[in-house]
Amino acid sequence: MSGGTTGPARLEAAELGVHFGDRPALEGVSLALHAGETVSLVGPNGAGKSTLLRALAGMLPPSHGEVRFEGRPVRRPNPCVVYVPQRSGVDWSFPVDVLGVVLMGQAHRRTRLLPFLAGDRAAARAALARVKMDRFAGVQIGQLSGGQQQRVFLARALVQGGEVYLLDEPFAGVDVPTQELLIDLFDGLRREGKTIVYATHDLGQAARASDRVVLVNRRLVAAGPPERVMTATNLRETFGGQVVVVGPSGGPVAGAAADDVPTAGVAG
Amino acid sequence: MSGWGVGGLFDGLLDPLSRTFMQHAFVAIVLVGVICGVTGAFVTLRGLAFMGDALAHAIFPGVVIAFVLGANFLVGALIAAVIVSLLIGAIGQSGRLTNDTAIGVLFAGCFALGVALISRQQTYTRDLSSFLFGTILGVSRSDLALTAAVGATVLLVMGLFRRELTMAAFDRVFAQASGRSLFAYDQLFLLLLSLSIVISIQTVGNILVLAMLVTPAATARLLTDRLGVMVALSALIGGVSGVVGLYVSYYQGIASGASVVLTATALFAVAYLFAPRTGVVTTAVARRLHHPFPERDRFPPAHDDGIDPRALPGAVAAPGAIGDDDPTAADSAAPRRRATPA
Repeated sequence: MSGGTTGPARLEAAELGVHFGDRPALEGVSLALHAGETVSLVGPNGAGKSTLLRALAGMLPPSHGEVRFEGRPVRRPNPCVVYVPQRSGVDWSFPVDVLGVVLMGQAHRRTRLLPFLAGDRAAARAALARVKMDRFAGVQIGQLSGGQQQRVFLARALVQGGEVYLLDEPFAGVDVPTQELLIDLFDGLRREGKTIVYATHDLGQAARASDRVVLVNRRLVAAGPPERVMTATNLRETFGGQVVVVGPSGGPVAGAAADDVPTAGVAG
Repeated sequence: MSGWGVGGLFDGLLDPLSRTFMQHAFVAIVLVGVICGVTGAFVTLRGLAFMGDALAHAIFPGVVIAFVLGANFLVGALIAAVIVSLLIGAIGQSGRLTNDTAIGVLFAGCFALGVALISRQQTYTRDLSSFLFGTILGVSRSDLALTAAVGATVLLVMGLFRRELTMAAFDRVFAQASGRSLFAYDQLFLLLLSLSIVISIQTVGNILVLAMLVTPAATARLLTDRLGVMVALSALIGGVSGVVGLYVSYYQGIASGASVVLTATALFAVAYLFAPRTGVVTTAVARRLHHPFPERDRFPPAHDDGIDPRALPGAVAAPGAIGDDDPTAADSAAPRRRATPA
């Protein structure tokens, strides 16, 4: 259950700080991510979850500290670290179909200006099949539901084929079947030895679908297995009193077994 | 149709082509229509219409300086375009000002500089109007050669970088995450846009070039959901607008730039009203005939609650959110299909 949290870190943040102008978005975050584990980043809106993911992906220069991938400092995006952005950042009315979006994941492999080959298309279709979207290949993306759009993003990430997957709010606004599919997919990737890190503000989802939970609010509040980390004290510290904890005895949210996990939500 | 009518029509179509300056004009306007159509597709998709307008105005001083010095005005415009597109990119990077503001400052200032320079010329009014509205009948052979060379370069580079430009337009965060420099691609696109504008100034003029960038592309977008088809259609509509507009101009004595733009606008109006799947009239008629139309919900309401009501069998959708006759409501796993009429 605890995944491979031993051994050398695959991707790590060391005393990482990111400032936007004078405003600190993250301060002093140290975090080691290993092969074969699923880690959720949990915190309120504006806590710096997206910032942390982008810094880990090499998209934001750290103001302090550094990010290391397999021991080497990360200064720019690395093909082995796949970043899956939030759905809300995309123009969904764009005239591109599902297969076209997934093929974008191929583009970093060879010379970017050459045409796609049959093998690229086959790989894209296989990725679509893995997220059960193969029948939608020719559909314009704006016609998909939120969950289906998220699956297309996942297929694109699968085509990129990295070692670490960083996902920003993959569970936000998606339907129940897609949530189940995401959890299965994370499981499959984890068994292949990949590292999965995703941001969420849904505590129940985090407890259920990750080996380790990292509570973030500008800084790292706590990190560890869900049942150890998600205590009332830690949650209050992370969410500043806005958290509604619904457990069997009103206590901390505990346990990561799929069915009997109490749900907790964040008010507001 | 009588033989006289067909013959008269042919004579009418061929007559302008017997004059050299009209031949040049036709070639020039088709080049401009096609090139602006292709570049314009990306302008509309990225919401850069204001940028296009600004660039057209901002290269004005380059045109005027070339004119004053007696150089080819296309060369002056090209130099100005490169400088201005780099400046806009640089100011946009600074962060404190929005891009719109940076563009506004630069474009008004440059345009004023152009007007100031040209107002010192003897033939001020005539020169100004020829720059603002184009002098399509004065296109020389060497102008045509330069237009064709620049245009071919633009199309070639757009073709080579089409996937990269598409990615930078569709999903900027992803493009950045997969190691692309958004700044470099934005600069490349601004440069291509500037070149398209420069070669259009002589034919349709400074003011109306925006229409050649935006209108055919907007029309094409109404007709298709596929980017490749949209670009091709946009180029075709741009070229056709040019040819038809020039004929109208020739026979009705209308200023050529205005005539071309009005033709493009008319084509847009037709598509807006009667496009097969998106036209205002088409969809109204279809609704009246009780064909539930799939495009009705092509922009589905956002489901912020984390649950897509369509995914829950038997769930009661929010009132008004999704029609209760929605054929796909019970089967979210199937692509939206056109419902068969009852």
